[in-house]
Amino acid sequence: MSRLLPTLLLALLLTGCATSPPREPPRELDFPFAPEATLRSSAQVLMANGYVVSHADADLGRLEAVFSRWPGYRVLVEVSGEGEQSRVSLTATRGGRPLPPQTLDRLLVEMQDRLGMWR
Amino acid sequence: MRLWQLPRVPVIVVVTMLALAGCQTTPSTLPAAEPRPSEACSWPLNDQTPRVVLVGAVAALEADGFLIRHTDLALGLVSAERTRILPGYGDRYDSWDRRGMFGGIGIGGGRGGVSSGVMIGFGGVGSLTRDATQLERVSLLAGAGEVRVSRDIQVIDWRGELAEARSASTADFCQRLRGAIEAGGSR
Repeated sequence: MSRLLPTLLLALLLTGCATSPPREPPRELDFPFAPEATLRSSAQVLMANGYVVSHADADLGRLEAVFSRWPGYRVLVEVSGEGEQSRVSLTATRGGRPLPPQTLDRLLVEMQDRLGMWR
Repeated sequence: MRLWQLPRVPVIVVVTMLALAGCQTTPSTLPAAEPRPSEACSWPLNDQTPRVVLVGAVAALEADGFLIRHTDLALGLVSAERTRILPGYGDRYDSWDRRGMFGGIGIGGGRGGVSSGVMIGFGGVGSLTRDATQLERVSLLAGAGEVRVSRDIQVIDWRGELAEARSASTADFCQRLRGAIEAGGSR
């Protein structure tokens, strides 16, 4: 009996952990800049925050950055568009689980700052 | 058994865990490195082309033991990583297992007597297999008038678990890399 109650409580406590990760919509924003310039600004902002860019391809319009802090963060940037218009789509995971889109707002603000700075 | 007759320690642990369960919420914003990457980790491109910097960076990183994972010339990006074995990393924290590699000496007192012994031999198999692996990841971006470097370090212990993870965009590393790139670029 002395073991049963804590075990039951622990089992109850852990039931919440065993759910499938919820799907989060990407955080999207339009930029009045060419896709390549937008993608480069995302790399600059992420690296200035200490992220390491593990993969980026300007032709694909895709960039992936990682941050080592436990349990491991990953940011995926996808840029589409042509000419001087581009649409940025950001998703992030924390320990493999998607983060809500509003966590990426600061990144978008810093990208806007940076693009305004050198254009 | 009544509730107040339960063993206290497990009950306290469970209550504390229940109380702390709410603390594990998702962060409201993406984390950033603390401290921030050193100022030495970004420098002006000046009159160099991004291509020259990339060629120098690839050569400098490879000479330093890095494996180039990815490059993209259009963006001006190099991504590389390096692994290193940290011998006996586990022993640093497992103090109960602090024995020498070639045996040990022990004195023990038991019931009604003291015994001593000397152990000779290659007893350090534990510490031989408890090497951790350090993974260092670096990315360098050259373009839009500047060069920027970021780096992080992870230590994976002998169990395959992440033992340490930190951002390591340090002045020391960035200055050495910049020096190596500039030395390679002028050749």
